[in-house]
Amino acid sequence: MSKNLSDLSGRKGLAKNLFEELGIAAKATGTPGEDDMEKLRSEFLVGKANVYGSVSFYDFLKPENQGKKVYICNGSACMTAGTQEKLEATLSEHFSKEETGEMCCLGRCHENSSFHLNGRNYSGDDINDIVNIKKGISTEPDHYHVSSKGTPILTSEYGTVHEYYKIFLDCLQKTPEVLLAELKDSGLRGRGGAGFSMAFKLDSCRNAVSNTKFIVCNADEGDPGAYSDRYIMEQRPHAMLMGMMIAGYITGAAYGVVYIRGEYPESVDIVNECVETLRKEKLIGEDINGSGFTFEFKIIEAQGAYICGEETALLSSIEGQRPEVRVRPPYPTQKGLFNQPTVVNNVETLANLPFIMQHGGKAFAAIGTAKSTGTKLISLDGYFNRPGIYEVDMGTPLSIVINELGGGFRLPVKAMHIGGPLGGLVPVQKVESLTVDFDSFAKEGFLLGHASVVCIPEDYPLIKYLEHLFRFTAHESCGKCFPCRLGSTRGYEMLEKAQEGNYKIDIKLMNDLLETLETGSLCALGGGLPLPIKNALHYFEGELAPFFSENQPRRSGSSSSSGS
Amino acid sequence: MNLLSAITATATATAASTNKAINTATAFINDKAYPFNEGETILQFVRRNLGKDFVPTLCDAPNLDPFGSCRVCSVDVALVKDGPSKVQASCHTPLIPNSYIYTDSERITRLRRNIIELVLTDHPLDCLTCEVNNNCELQTVAARVGIRDVRYPEGKNHLDKKKDLSHPYMTSDFSKCINCFRCVRACDEVQGEFVLSMAGRGFDSHIVKSFNNSFFESDCVSCGACAQACPTSAISDVFESKSIVADTKTRTICTYCGVGCNLEVAVVNGKVKSIQAPYDANVNHGHTCLKGRFAFSFYNHPDRLRTPLIRKHGELVPATWDEAYDYIVNELNRIKNDLGPDYIAGISSARCTNEENYLMQKFIRAVIGTNNIDSCARVCHSPTALGMQRTFGTGAATNSVIDLNYTDCIMVIGANPTDAHPVTGAKLKQFAMHGTSIVIDPRRTEMARYATYHLQLRPGTNVAVMNMLLYYIIKEGLEDKQFIEARTEGYEEFKNHILNIDIGKMEAICGVDRNLVRSAAMAYASAPNAMSFHGLGVTEHSQGTYTVMLIADLAMITGNIGRRGVGVNPLRGQNNVQGAADMGCQPHQGAGYLDITNPDYHHMYEDFYHATLPLHVGYKIPQMYDAALNGKLKALWLMGEDNVQTDPNTQHVVNALNQLDLLIVQEIFMTETAKMAHVVLPAASFLEKSGTFTNGERRIQRVQKVVEPIEGTKSDGQIMVEIMNRMGYAQPDYDPKTMLEEIAQIVPFFAGVKWDELGENGKQWPVLKDGSDTEILHIDTFKRGKGKFQVATFKESEEIVNHGAEFPYILTTNRELEHYNCGTMTRRTGNAEILTDDVLMINPADASNHLIAEGDMVCIISARGKIDVKAHITDEVKAGILSSTFHFPDIKMNDLTSSISDSEAMCPEYKVVAVNIRKSKGKYKNKVLS
Repeated sequence: MSKNLSDLSGRKGLAKNLFEELGIAAKATGTPGEDDMEKLRSEFLVGKANVYGSVSFYDFLKPENQGKKVYICNGSACMTAGTQEKLEATLSEHFSKEETGEMCCLGRCHENSSFHLNGRNYSGDDINDIVNIKKGISTEPDHYHVSSKGTPILTSEYGTVHEYYKIFLDCLQKTPEVLLAELKDSGLRGRGGAGFSMAFKLDSCRNAVSNTKFIVCNADEGDPGAYSDRYIMEQRPHAMLMGMMIAGYITGAAYGVVYIRGEYPESVDIVNECVETLRKEKLIGEDINGSGFTFEFKIIEAQGAYICGEETALLSSIEGQRPEVRVRPPYPTQKGLFNQPTVVNNVETLANLPFIMQHGGKAFAAIGTAKSTGTKLISLDGYFNRPGIYEVDMGTPLSIVINELGGGFRLPVKAMHIGGPLGGLVPVQKVESLTVDFDSFAKEGFLLGHASVVCIPEDYPLIKYLEHLFRFTAHESCGKCFPCRLGSTRGYEMLEKAQEGNYKIDIKLMNDLLETLETGSLCALGGGLPLPIKNALHYFEGELAPFFSENQPRRSGSSSSSGS
Repeated sequence: MNLLSAITATATATAASTNKAINTATAFINDKAYPFNEGETILQFVRRNLGKDFVPTLCDAPNLDPFGSCRVCSVDVALVKDGPSKVQASCHTPLIPNSYIYTDSERITRLRRNIIELVLTDHPLDCLTCEVNNNCELQTVAARVGIRDVRYPEGKNHLDKKKDLSHPYMTSDFSKCINCFRCVRACDEVQGEFVLSMAGRGFDSHIVKSFNNSFFESDCVSCGACAQACPTSAISDVFESKSIVADTKTRTICTYCGVGCNLEVAVVNGKVKSIQAPYDANVNHGHTCLKGRFAFSFYNHPDRLRTPLIRKHGELVPATWDEAYDYIVNELNRIKNDLGPDYIAGISSARCTNEENYLMQKFIRAVIGTNNIDSCARVCHSPTALGMQRTFGTGAATNSVIDLNYTDCIMVIGANPTDAHPVTGAKLKQFAMHGTSIVIDPRRTEMARYATYHLQLRPGTNVAVMNMLLYYIIKEGLEDKQFIEARTEGYEEFKNHILNIDIGKMEAICGVDRNLVRSAAMAYASAPNAMSFHGLGVTEHSQGTYTVMLIADLAMITGNIGRRGVGVNPLRGQNNVQGAADMGCQPHQGAGYLDITNPDYHHMYEDFYHATLPLHVGYKIPQMYDAALNGKLKALWLMGEDNVQTDPNTQHVVNALNQLDLLIVQEIFMTETAKMAHVVLPAASFLEKSGTFTNGERRIQRVQKVVEPIEGTKSDGQIMVEIMNRMGYAQPDYDPKTMLEEIAQIVPFFAGVKWDELGENGKQWPVLKDGSDTEILHIDTFKRGKGKFQVATFKESEEIVNHGAEFPYILTTNRELEHYNCGTMTRRTGNAEILTDDVLMINPADASNHLIAEGDMVCIISARGKIDVKAHITDEVKAGILSSTFHFPDIKMNDLTSSISDSEAMCPEYKVVAVNIRKSKGKYKNKVLS
């Protein structure tokens, strides 16, 4: 993170955005050419290396991925579903190896066999239609179950834009203080993972002194297995957009940025259309409805990097910098996007705001538990009989979600990976002791996270799953902090080697590595990886034991022994 | 992946919310209480109390922001004693009062060891043969955490990365890189150049230069900040500056520009090995440029003069010092006795020490008996001295560069600091990247590209633009009435004059949109604190002094004088141009700027020097040439200046020097001027002598001898002392300590200067008797009492009036980073491989009109002569404007320049030459190919 680069990028405001321009420049050939990069870097007064460095970071910008036409999802759910080998075989009849890339993940965890072609995602039976798809004949959209048990805050219909935005226009009649008080009453905690108080963030940004502030919606739902944010963006987009506008009004921010992952092309289109609708309805722009409040949206399509879901990396990404995690302080609410006060919130969190403003904070707080108020969306993968998105009141027993809403497993499952790659690995026998809320999961040594559920079937080797987690982290590590950059790769290498035979992982070394990652990493990517690994080592010791040993011969000689 | 953000945010936000108020509290390190300072990180707190090395670090560096990548600085933090603790990276975690820090708990030592073990899985095991053996931070930390083995199986690594040896100075070997980002951050946060970045991600992250180029092909400006920041030898330089192999390390001051960087020079076997920039230097904080850091090899270049030379039968032939001195003494005595002392003159050098300059003027005044003493300050900042004397009472910078940390707006006028004053330039650029900046320059310089407002005026119209700025400040009612009332005089008359300006006419003259000028004026006037910086683009004009006075007016009218973050700050060109004037190397003022025609001061000087002194003002440099041509000057002594190459209108200078009976040149190389001398005396370079230089912010700093003078050479000071004694004046041997004792007695603002008390960072004059120094001038009153508003009306340069019709283009001059002035020194270093020749900047429209392509030789013709220069087509200059560098003698730039000078201070008008252009013909046409 460079303060200078933030300032230089910020000179152009959001109108012309360096990151977006790099994406545009990559459209033609898959990677920006040197001429494009030279033009942009001299326009933005940054170094050649900065632009080169940024381009080389992203899966969809870097020169190595030039010429890719079709991308196969390598997310956890598609992997455990075992659909991708067959998919790959079919696709190889239509595309060369050079034209075939990988994406992680497309959010089609409910029907798997997912792939991305010509800016569209496909899954389930779509592959059977590959000939037509290649011709540009569109297929039926994917479908998944959506229902709720409890109060349908996020899954209920909201009517027309005109009707729905009455909530917002009513907000404009009130003072930001009043709205903030409602938010405080609601007890709303961030839905991105760890549940940070939304009101605290908004208050902090509101108190920061600056003429320019931003509301950034983190729509980079990168957790393999999660697609609840995709659901909101594609089916309840105005809840999210209005939530941003309300947050803008409370904090005094006139700009909203929605940073949507490039793996969700449909979401990008839908949200863009919604913003156009708002513009036509004069619900955004200058002096909205004569209130004196001005708000504008900028939709940014991301370019393939899981780390951009980390809020500070996301901010650097918007600025066209390399999305490397920043140190805190300063917090984004003090110095965020372009060094200006910024609130970064997850899609689902923001989507709760209209309900809170319509019904009052207390009404929201009455739902769920004392410490986890409101509801939670849960994404269930294709191992369930009824895969889909379910909204439940916080505190609902996990077994209800699995058995009642999800209709139980369609095949024998030994564990569920809940809350994304950094969430806990929950053995099926622990289901009964968990309820859907932050505290229950924490108490049992797991993590609610973004509440995505990826099933690991009985016959899937856990060692392979652990290798997948390390490989994922190694691939997605931003490379800034030493533990994650080096540790994720070394862990992956050990797990890979252990499966080849003739090598057993020194359990003490693995424990040292996990401790180093957990306590030493700069952000939750390296810091969070050990949780599922430790869960696995704890609950599936027997299955994993053959790959580990108590003692391991050491590599001799090291540079440290010489000299001082 | 929203999970990530939330977890980290929760952990640290709680910390921040409690980190307020309470300033008498303590915090604990390993259960011992220490005083708590507001705003400190844990690392700063531990270092303040227990020393720099108490907590090991790798990615932390003294002049860089906390970054948090290595995690080696992690400590355990508990909010209550024996309470639950959390591992936190100390470098970026704020200290919470009453918290308990454990720096070496079992899990912390384990964590550090495990991190370093991971680092060593991707690092070569060749410490003993590595350049930085025993000076490597990784090695030190690895030894400290006690790591002996790497337990991981062999895996991916970067050990096969190739070395980059493409550059004359910079080298890289990224197999040694530990990905700490220190080089990237140094290039960004210190130099502001953005040449380096990480590329790729995760384990594949690697450092790239520009578009993944070699150092030589990249946009690197060779400042060496990355190499100095690198904790291993991943980035270094050809001098292996980080090697501990050195017999001595001596701290001295750079000989190039007026920034005055402190240098630490390593010597092996009596030869300079390498140079580093000390982090504790107030001037340069561990930074310097390629001239200071790398361009030192001129000092023992084969071309160095090593013996005195006397002209015999038209040839300069080697002679002994005795022969040379005898010759000089005889000739000087002859001329003095036959014609009188005023037939002799001296030109001192802004490149030499204060002590040497003092001796030179003392020699000319007290021994020869004339005031014909001047220095090269004449051709650069004499208008600054005069203009600021007339308005403020003294000609020196009012503030210090560190004030950039306190200002809200900067104005840079007629200066190109990123090339000519690189370290101050880097600081100005850093400011411009986030703060409000106004650049007034005919070229779109690097500063102009980053500026909020760039006023791209026609060369020679500074007075018009300055008047417009002042006009809008008064029109908008943005003047500081209280300051004007309390601190200044002459305002009403000034205001009436300004308000009568014809804005439309001024706009047409300078070619800058009036609305842009108005916006800039409002930005400067409404900033709580605004600072101005100016250079030779202000002074080297026929209206140089007037522009300086208007800059001073601007500071006064907005009340920007006498506190932090404000003021008028000339960027002095040469290392000791401030000092040369301070020491009295001017024909009208003696040591300490006292008027030599004032009887009281005259007597004071006579008593002090024990000599009879003349009461009349002597010649300024241009007058010396005129006098020589008129037979009124017969002997000229030059100390370290190449007037033939650097003074304007070369033919005029050569003709004048040809008229002399005696031309003595003290030099380190055989310059164009030395070739004309009757006697050449081989002098010592800055690395071979001691003394003091005074930088552009009035800071007197110690120059310390690093190596013995090359055999056959003597320091300029020693030469002056010896000649004084031979001329019958008893002057003790050259020694900076005793010289300063003498100077302190006669120069009022040096009253408290003592060699032994100058310390590492020197002192800023005035230095009072008690030794206290002065960062900011004119705090309560101006030196002259009240500040005096001075009016100036735009007047077209005679050059344009007389020759503009026939020569419709305007040629101005500029410098490039790699070379210093006429390049006598830098052309004899690796810098000449980086910038190989001079270039003429020409607008694409002009180039197209004359069918000139990039790299073509262009013939430039003025009323004086013609030269040929290689074209560089760029919109950095407007159509009709040309700009050329002048670092290489071959192009003979001063064949073109005129003898027109600033009307007040007689500084030559280098910056405006009426010329015409055409594609070169004949032998010059293909020069580029050769």
